[in-house]
Amino acid sequence: MTKPLIQINHLVKKFGDNVVLNDITETINQGDVIVVIGASGGGKSTFLRSLNLLNQPTSGEIEFEGTNLVGLSEKELDKVREKMGMVFQQFNLFPNMTVLENIKLAPMKVKNQDDAAATKKAHELLTQVGLDDKADAYPTSLSGGQMQRVAIARALAMEPDVMLFDEPTSALDPEMVGEVLKVMQDLAKSGMTMVIVTHEMGFAREAADQVWFMDQGVIAEKGEPEQIFTAPKHDRTKDFLSKVLAQ
Amino acid sequence: MKKLLRWLMALAVAMVAFVGVAAQPVHATDDSLAKIKAKGTLVMGTSPDYAPYEFLVNKNGKNQVVGIDVEIAKKIASDLGVKLVVKQMDFDSLLVGLETHKVDMVLSAMTPTSARKQSVDFSQIYYTASQDIIVNKADAKLYKNAESFVGKKVGAQTGSMQADLVKQKMTDSKLLGLTKVTDLILALKSHKVEGVVAEHPVAQAYVDHDKQLAIVKSGWTLDPESNGQAIGFAKGSDTLVAAANKSINEIKKQGLIKSYTKTACDYMTKNTANTSMFHYWKFFAKGVEYTLLITAVSVVFGVLIGTLMALMRLGKNKILHTIAVAYIEFVRGTPLMIQVMFVYFGIGLFVDVPALTAGIIAVSLNSAAYVAEIIRSGIDSIPTGQTEAARSLGLSTRQTMTSVVLPQAIRNIWPALGNEFISLIKESSIVSIIGVTDLIYQLKVVQTATYKGVAPIFVAMVIYFVLTFTLSKILGHFERKMQHD
Ligand SMILES: Nc1ncnc2c1ncn2[C@@H]1O[C@H](COP(=O)(O)OP(=O)(O)OP(=O)(O)O)[C@@H](O)[C@H]1O
Ligand SMILES: [Mg+2]
Repeated sequence: MTKPLIQINHLVKKFGDNVVLNDITETINQGDVIVVIGASGGGKSTFLRSLNLLNQPTSGEIEFEGTNLVGLSEKELDKVREKMGMVFQQFNLFPNMTVLENIKLAPMKVKNQDDAAATKKAHELLTQVGLDDKADAYPTSLSGGQMQRVAIARALAMEPDVMLFDEPTSALDPEMVGEVLKVMQDLAKSGMTMVIVTHEMGFAREAADQVWFMDQGVIAEKGEPEQIFTAPKHDRTKDFLSKVLAQ
Repeated sequence: MKKLLRWLMALAVAMVAFVGVAAQPVHATDDSLAKIKAKGTLVMGTSPDYAPYEFLVNKNGKNQVVGIDVEIAKKIASDLGVKLVVKQMDFDSLLVGLETHKVDMVLSAMTPTSARKQSVDFSQIYYTASQDIIVNKADAKLYKNAESFVGKKVGAQTGSMQADLVKQKMTDSKLLGLTKVTDLILALKSHKVEGVVAEHPVAQAYVDHDKQLAIVKSGWTLDPESNGQAIGFAKGSDTLVAAANKSINEIKKQGLIKSYTKTACDYMTKNTANTSMFHYWKFFAKGVEYTLLITAVSVVFGVLIGTLMALMRLGKNKILHTIAVAYIEFVRGTPLMIQVMFVYFGIGLFVDVPALTAGIIAVSLNSAAYVAEIIRSGIDSIPTGQTEAARSLGLSTRQTMTSVVLPQAIRNIWPALGNEFISLIKESSIVSIIGVTDLIYQLKVVQTATYKGVAPIFVAMVIYFVLTFTLSKILGHFERKMQHD
């Protein structure tokens, strides 16, 4: 039933002498919801950005749907990135476009969808994230939570096979975190494969199939949320969790 | 043995070829006249700000160069059986024009000084005038001759023999050099100088048309060799010079200069019959047309080339990056004036570029360097998150640039781009030095034609302001529109 969607083999990433990812080999299966946790500077963002090759790995392989992405040309990578949605901590909406235009841009430019089809799909997605009334607004007039929900809708418009989230709620005021997590929760239930870097332990507990604890460039410990949160094996996991949960 | 023979053969062939090439210039001297006859035109270069020798009149709305020198040139052309073409240039640029074969001969009341003789050939002298000093009428009584100007400032045209004379003969006076006689007269009237040295017919023309001016005789007796006027030709044009000398002999024998002077003076009186600025609106209109044309074309090419340069500079390709950096730094590190002259005279050595085209090319290339830097700063100002978001959606590098980064960058740099466009209107005026009839050029034409110094300046200033102010309003409108989005 489970088949590998992304296979990571001996992934290494160095910035100069700084080894940020140190020989990671992991599998992400179709439908998995994986939450990556870990201390700041542990390499979580670098790991996530290696999956769609926004960061070029120093060595190793990223196999996505059977093809190794490392060494592909930019043109070939464009084709792959369509299928890997990404959501950023800073939203990165295009400020010169309306919400609707933000969502329609890639389907029309990349998939050559016609305007009517793209508009229809965009409205559906906005309804899904509860923001259809904001279709014609510009991003600057939205709250952080609304912006992040638009960003999720924008990524979904390309009908990706996997969604990557890099601390999607870290830049939000506390009262807005819930609305974004709710959207992600629904997405997880719908069967979307997701890799999520977050500090929201409650969300990890509820939504994750697996929690990966990342430390000093490796996945130091992984397991079902129940196990990681109640019975961590690794000293560094214990240390990290006690610090985070104490807050 | 065979090898050696082949070697010797090759050497011999090479030597024959070399001698052939080296001998070429000797042959070339002989065909200067033949060449003119073959192409059927004789191109005369002149700086038409020196009535009655050469000046502009408005004939049916078109600028036309007339004057004694033009009459002489017409005579030479008709003796040769070819058509005369008159090309206008700054006096300073005339000799360069000869060297670069932009013109076949120079008639611009030019004295064959020994310095000039080193770079060009001269005909015999066709006219010798005495030197006068133009003064304000109110001060006329203070001066008797050139010696009365001890300790005073005296003006003369830059690069002219009058300037040399001031340096040699009026050692106790200070020299102010300006390119245009009209500007010198302005300097005189505003007491920047106390006298302006000019040839008698020129001085007489100004005094006749301006009641506030008077003539003081210089009192110099000058060697006609260093005082007279001759026609300049490119070095080594012996046959052409001989042909010109023949025509000059006839002119002298038949006393034609007198009738030429009369023709010129008739033009002058007609020209100055109505000196109101309104009468000259067509001159200004033409100037505006050229200024706007140069600016508009240069903006378009400046933006296109500038964007390309910015992208090359930001791109990953090392060679393209280096080319862009070198281009931008070089253009920003040299004056526009030199670039204009380089394109016109330098490139003109290989291909004949008309002055207007040369001006547009130079201004476009210059603007491109500045636009490139503005666009680069605009692109740099867009957070990398924007690019990453676009790329993560599957947009290509190119789509990311055109759909996401550039639209935002342009909005950020619009005010800076606007400033560049506005300054282009003003800076394009430098093309007047190669004779492009832009607003500045026309301003000088009107000054020469009307013997009025200040009024044309005022008109041109108002026109420039109206142009830049209108443009800045239009740009502001677009800026507000973009901000509303
Ligand atoms: N572009 C880069 N150039 C050089 N070093 C980098 C770059 N990006 C990340 N690093 C370094 O890599 C290490 C891991 O960074 P990364 O952003 O992946 O950590 P993180 O786990 O996401 O941390 P945080 O929780 O703060 O986001 C850090 O030491 C960082 O300084
Ligand atoms: Mg991070």
